[in-house]
Amino acid sequence: MTSEYFKIALRNLRSRRLRSWLTILGIVIGVFLVISMLSLSEGLRQSIMQELQSMGPDMIMVFPGDSFDITTLISGAELEDREVNAVRRARGVDVVLEMPWTALVVRHYQESKTTMIVGISLEEGISVLRDDMGWNTTSGEFARPGRREVMAGSLVPIDVFSNLQTGDILNIGGRSFTVSGILRSLGNRQDDMSIIMDLSSFREVTGKREGTPIAMVRIQDGYLVEDVMGNIERELERVAVRTQGSDSPSFSVTSSEAVMDMVDNILGALQWAVVAFASIAILVGGIGIMNTMFTSVRERTKEIGVLKAVGAKRRDISFIFLFESGIIGFIGGVGGVIFGVGAALLAEAFLREAHPVLYIEAHISPWLIIFGLMFSFLIGCASGFFPARQASKLEPVEALRYE
Amino acid sequence: MGFANNTIIKTEDIWKVYDLGRVHLDILKGIDLEILEGDFVVILGPSGSGKSTLLNLISCLDVPSKGKVTVEGNDISGLSEDELAEVRGKKIGFVFQQFNLLSHLTALENVIIPSIFQGKRSYDVKDKAGNILTSLGLEGRVNHKPAELSGGEKQRVAIARSLINDPDIIVADEPTGNVDSKTGEKIMNILVKLNKDEGKTVIVVTHDTELTKFANRVISIKDGEIHDQ
Repeated sequence: MTSEYFKIALRNLRSRRLRSWLTILGIVIGVFLVISMLSLSEGLRQSIMQELQSMGPDMIMVFPGDSFDITTLISGAELEDREVNAVRRARGVDVVLEMPWTALVVRHYQESKTTMIVGISLEEGISVLRDDMGWNTTSGEFARPGRREVMAGSLVPIDVFSNLQTGDILNIGGRSFTVSGILRSLGNRQDDMSIIMDLSSFREVTGKREGTPIAMVRIQDGYLVEDVMGNIERELERVAVRTQGSDSPSFSVTSSEAVMDMVDNILGALQWAVVAFASIAILVGGIGIMNTMFTSVRERTKEIGVLKAVGAKRRDISFIFLFESGIIGFIGGVGGVIFGVGAALLAEAFLREAHPVLYIEAHISPWLIIFGLMFSFLIGCASGFFPARQASKLEPVEALRYE
Repeated sequence: MGFANNTIIKTEDIWKVYDLGRVHLDILKGIDLEILEGDFVVILGPSGSGKSTLLNLISCLDVPSKGKVTVEGNDISGLSEDELAEVRGKKIGFVFQQFNLLSHLTALENVIIPSIFQGKRSYDVKDKAGNILTSLGLEGRVNHKPAELSGGEKQRVAIARSLINDPDIIVADEPTGNVDSKTGEKIMNILVKLNKDEGKTVIVVTHDTELTKFANRVISIKDGEIHDQ
């Protein structure tokens, strides 16, 4: 029975092809928005999460400035040595890694380019980088402390100095360094285009004796992240009181977990906003379906009369109209999914070409697709409800007389 | 069927009244009528006489304002719309003046439609529908849409559609009204054949006195009352 209604509904839609497609288009747009925007924002969230997770959940980050935000990073504020040492003194702290960076002109054979240089104390940090942050090399080895060796990010041989190889010599700030190895991708473009050297070499090359915009902290076994964060804050406050006579914070201490939560919150809210707006778009599409169906009931009044005369009950007529609107919704959903996935993949390809700071991979979840299809089908059925009811209630004699 | 004199349709003092605010219209004024199984009845009357309204009542498309209509022994006056649809679907086949075929369906699909509302699958009644069309000389028109058919062919498809559920009664409202007289003759002969060969009770409503020659019974109606029977 159901399959027969379905066939009749399909025939009816096909007999009004242009109108059916235009109505379907209304749903396609809404579903397209949901699928493409959610795939991209979920992709963004996951790529940020991946990077933060690669640091390990037990890493603590210390920044200068009273809040961790983009302005602090740009303003060039730095932690001084006495602050870094205060962090080292805090109970539960195992290793503190300063990570200063700067842009310098680097020469490779005849080619000179301004490149991001990062300094890390390799003696202390190699185990943190390898074990906690998951660094690895695709060729060569990690640079050794005290030697004139550097490691190149994975994109350096591709986007900065083409054909750079392990063993090549780079001239940085008038000093020569050997490339000991090429790193595996660290998950973001900026890091992958950097050159990493030992902290002592970095100080030597830049001439800056102290200061770092960020300190990464690994805690000792048996301590809780929150406790150690508190200890670090107290030590830093003590330094602040001693040197400036104030305990107002000029630093912030956070964990990779806390940053993850923050990112999750922000992007979660963004996703809800996307869903809300796209749902409105689908709803408007639903009103379009309702409009089409009401028009259809009016146009087909006589046809409904004929169907009733030959034995169709109210339920039969209702089902035919509900199937029609449901099919419109569902096809709209399928179209929206196809275009949405296509657009997300296109945007992904485009962003990769456009050299973004952050690399986004569209995340297309099967649940999202199922949701898109179900939602559009249900909107279709719901929009068809009142027109179908109107059609089913037509009196056969009146309907047959309708011209 | 255990029904006296094989009466198939009976009306007892049926009235159809329209109350449109100030205007009060008595379309039918107490019609008493008995149609026997196997009758070929022509209900004759000028336009506005109430003959179509009478047809609507005896074919279960509508219920009377007052009075009682019995079809095959069942009182239909108090039935709900869906119950009426059930009776129509099973017992009555319709042929209209305007043919009323669904324009986007083929002849075959038009014939199949009523059986779907009886819970059948189109696949299962395809052969039967094809046979009926063939028996009406439409074997070459099975997959044509109404727009590709002549008036006479359309009316034959409509007759085929009225037969798909094997009804006992066929009602035709001005079946020759939209075709030329020669074609009209053919249409009437088909109905006569169905009456004679298959024992269908046929009720034709018309204003055309010519058609009375096909009937074994003529009921004249004028101003909502039976004039002559």
